[in-house]
Amino acid sequence: MTTYLIRHLQVLFATLGDMRRTPMATINTLLIIAITLLLPSLLYVATKSAQSLSSNWQGRPQISIFLDKDLSDSNARLIFEEIQLHPSIELAEFITPEQALAEFRVLSDDNISLEQELVFLGGNPLPASIVVMPDRASAKSENLLALKAQLSQFEGIDTVRLDLDWTDRFNAILLVFSRVSMLLSGLLALALVLIVGNTIKLLIYNRRDEIEITKLVGGTDTFVRRPFLYYGALFGFLGALISLGLLLIAAELTHKPISDLAALYSSDALIHQATLIEIFALIAIGTFLGWLAARWSVAQHLRNIQPK
Amino acid sequence: MIKLSHVNKTYANGHQALKDVSFELAAGEMAFLSGHSGAGKSTLFKLITRIEKPTSGQIIVDNQNLSRMKPSKIPALRREIGVIFQDHKLLFDRSVFDNVALPLIVIGMPHDEIKKRVRAALGKVGLAGKETQSPITLSGGEQQRVGIARAVINRPNILLADEPTGNLDQDLSDEIIDIFSDFNRVGVTVLIATHDLRQVERLGKRTLQLNNGELVAPDDFSNDNKHSSGDR
Repeated sequence: MTTYLIRHLQVLFATLGDMRRTPMATINTLLIIAITLLLPSLLYVATKSAQSLSSNWQGRPQISIFLDKDLSDSNARLIFEEIQLHPSIELAEFITPEQALAEFRVLSDDNISLEQELVFLGGNPLPASIVVMPDRASAKSENLLALKAQLSQFEGIDTVRLDLDWTDRFNAILLVFSRVSMLLSGLLALALVLIVGNTIKLLIYNRRDEIEITKLVGGTDTFVRRPFLYYGALFGFLGALISLGLLLIAAELTHKPISDLAALYSSDALIHQATLIEIFALIAIGTFLGWLAARWSVAQHLRNIQPK
Repeated sequence: MIKLSHVNKTYANGHQALKDVSFELAAGEMAFLSGHSGAGKSTLFKLITRIEKPTSGQIIVDNQNLSRMKPSKIPALRREIGVIFQDHKLLFDRSVFDNVALPLIVIGMPHDEIKKRVRAALGKVGLAGKETQSPITLSGGEQQRVGIARAVINRPNILLADEPTGNLDQDLSDEIIDIFSDFNRVGVTVLIATHDLRQVERLGKRTLQLNNGELVAPDDFSNDNKHSSGDR
């Protein structure tokens, strides 16, 4: 067992040494693999982020409660406190007409015409409102509709708006997006196998003499193919590591714009933080695909090389 | 140890390399294989090492029928046979040490043991201290001896040598053939293909002569051979 391990370690280090001896070719291959892995990873992060966004909304969609325009501030506060105490509601936020206007200002680009209209309207036309997030237990559509009906009964409430349609649509789009990403990821995995397989093929034919002589002195097929399998697995492993590095760079580059965007929606950062398991999964998938490619290539080409 | 019965070998291009060749080499026997170039000597070696398959006939090496041998058993067969090739078949991008060590590396021998054996084998062929050199820096004769060291390193039961003295002067040729003789003395079956009639005469061993793929006077057993076949 120990000698078996030692033999494998020897091949591992010999392969790393061989890779270092041809740095340009190795770096080229690794970058191709890294980029091929990067795209599915980005799609995955995007899907995950969108899903967490959607579960924030759809799992517990917000209910907007618009209060009567002529309700006094103190009465509005009373309604807010009452709603906060409602058992199905986890979070409620009171938005004064001034806050609503401020938000509206941020979102509309044409401030001059807005100001003119405000003058025309003779003041802030926006009512005070309460944004409510139901708890998980009430997240189902029928519960939400019941909650909406209940809230509508409150004195001083003008309208209650539940954005179910929008979240349903969002989820449908998300499903299409994640299916398309899966399909693309599958195709890219196939491309990766073909690329690495072809690289391994070139390596095999470059080492033709060595393979022939090794077979002549009694090297088994397992022995002969082992370095190539290591080559493939190492390509995949190192490519996945570089891919992770590129992901970090991508995260760094998009961090600012995304948090700006999130701030506009007074939401937390939308971007999906990779868990340790996901990082390991990327490395494992890269290594496995590299190994698989080598295995496939070796099965095709090693047989053709026999001593003469 | 090696037995051929009615072996024919015709290559895909129609060239008939061996015609109805039958002979037996007993365990521990040493013999020469002579014949003009193209007479089929190399083909015979390729058949014994299962690089080629015979078109017809039977080859038995160490009680194994090569015609019926599974591909997975071929490595084990080749580990029993040390082969010295006419073109040396060395890896020029590897050191002398790595070249000689290859048959031990493929069986997974520990590195310390490999080191000892390589040093001993190189000492035996007169190349002590050349471990780290590249074969390309060596003369033809030295390369030949690297090949010999590689062939004997795994202490095979059978040694096949294809023109092992082709590039060597007389003294060196004698030395090399004597090395084979030494191995034969400790029980290794040795078959040497050579033009060098001087060596054939010097050692007085049985000689198999090939002429256009046919064994000349296959029944012409020398005393040496009668002795060995009597043992069987």
